[in-house]
Amino acid sequence: MGKALQQAFDLLFSSDAELWNIVSVTMRMTLTSSIAALLLGAPLGVLYAGARFPGRKALIVLNRTLMGVPPVVCGLLCYLLFSGVGPLRHLQLLFTVNGMIVAQVMLITPIVAGNMETYLSGVIGEIRETARGLRLSRAKTFFVTLGESKYALVSTYLFGFGRAMAEVGAVSMVGGAIAFKTNVMTTAIMMYTNRGDFTLGLALGVLLLLISLIINVLAHLLQRRSA
Amino acid sequence: MKKRILLIALALMLTLSVFGCAKTDTTAPEATAEVATEVMATEVPTEAPAITAEPNQEDGLGITILFEQDDSLINNYSLLAVNEAAPFVDADGKAVADVAINTVGAKALIDWMLGDEAATLIANYGVEQYGEALFYIKEDKPVSTAEIPQEIDETKTIRLSTTTSVNDSGLLAYLLPTFESEYGYTVEVASAGTGKAIAAAQMGNADLILVHSKSQEEAYVTAGFSKILDGYTSERLTFMYNFFVLIGPKDDPAKCAEATDVKDAFARIAEGKFPFVSRGDLSGTHTKEVSLWPESLAITTDAASVEAYSEWYAYSNAGMGVCLTMANEMNAYILSDKATFLAFRANGGTVG
Repeated sequence: MGKALQQAFDLLFSSDAELWNIVSVTMRMTLTSSIAALLLGAPLGVLYAGARFPGRKALIVLNRTLMGVPPVVCGLLCYLLFSGVGPLRHLQLLFTVNGMIVAQVMLITPIVAGNMETYLSGVIGEIRETARGLRLSRAKTFFVTLGESKYALVSTYLFGFGRAMAEVGAVSMVGGAIAFKTNVMTTAIMMYTNRGDFTLGLALGVLLLLISLIINVLAHLLQRRSA
Repeated sequence: MKKRILLIALALMLTLSVFGCAKTDTTAPEATAEVATEVMATEVPTEAPAITAEPNQEDGLGITILFEQDDSLINNYSLLAVNEAAPFVDADGKAVADVAINTVGAKALIDWMLGDEAATLIANYGVEQYGEALFYIKEDKPVSTAEIPQEIDETKTIRLSTTTSVNDSGLLAYLLPTFESEYGYTVEVASAGTGKAIAAAQMGNADLILVHSKSQEEAYVTAGFSKILDGYTSERLTFMYNFFVLIGPKDDPAKCAEATDVKDAFARIAEGKFPFVSRGDLSGTHTKEVSLWPESLAITTDAASVEAYSEWYAYSNAGMGVCLTMANEMNAYILSDKATFLAFRANGGTVG
């Protein structure tokens, strides 16, 4: 373990091109997919909690089911869709970072929506009452609701971010872990393990945690300011 | 409110620019250059290499090579181009006609792999690091004299679906940069066991395959998924080989090292019910392994065929490295290609 920690720090300050490519692909995939999932999922969550329409309960149950989809199943689905013989082959998304992002968004959006719904269901009554008292339009009420749940938004985002970065099952299937193209930190750890290089794998794991720590500290500072 | 949104946007853009966009463009060429210089360095024949990788009791591993160099342990690697007019079907079994296959790129890579330059590189691979070559060129391999075209936009990306052994042993990372820098192509390597590598090609996700299981290759050719390229006489272009080795605990309770041939060694393991780790993933190594057991056991690549032996036979469905780790932990016997084992051992094979 000590050796792996040492190597993680050596790696951090090294100029190993493959490593930095892995880190940059990881960050590109994680940030894009978590932001897209937030943009899609947060309004959905507000809709689930705030709007009243037939089939709402069923939608919430469906959403909760999707929250538990095993990543490999999602990966397999995307693999079949984007394959050379799949129905979406002309998009040419298989073995690309964009394909990985699509799979990630499919996985994380229900999680973001579900978390937002859970949080909002406790406070939505009050917000709705206030909005009615102020005679706010529907659109305004929607934005007020989002504005009132900033704290939950940040933590939901972080949760989605964590899921996106830690994901391995879906991205290895859709991305194919191709060096200098779609190899991310989790798939690289798998690859190094397969080569018997546990120390390097563990070092990458430490690096992954460090990045996550930095992002969380940043988010915490933001959250404190907005609280 | 506006200020905060601005702040968040700024923070995101900062992170994005630091990690994302700025890096991607610059890293790849650097890396190619780096590897290319390495290749240049190894091309110069060095003096007789010091043999460092030979059985070394202090390597930290509990397992070692017990049996090798048996004729039935030869491990042949073949290149097969994917036929763009193959009978592709989608997941529902319906025919798909317009599958995009880069035949020109695949032929360029095959021509290069069968040429003299690649042969020299392959023969030298591993000599310095492991004290012996990891792969050997077949003397009767098909030879290519065709002129290799430079890439054009439509043929630039070549998708190579291959087995873990050539990738995990580092062979492709060592070979391909030379080809890429000379002819401008980008080779995208996806590696999995032979079974999965072939399945990927059948789903239109590869332009060529590099695999090592004769029976599976022949089935692939029979199904019409490969074709004979101009200047060759066969779909299966077998061009290099190495050896499978039987690996097991250093104290060798089954006395495999004293076996007369590899089948005898396998019979000894089965007889004593000593723990054995099988890849169980339809890889070339798995297909080879099931052919070595005594016929009376009726072991096939099907998991149901080993159900009765589950107390000593682990059908693991994992890559070579993971299985080697398992064997090391369980003090078990295992069949591996030699290249992966040597690389595994040199990389430490244990948590340092």
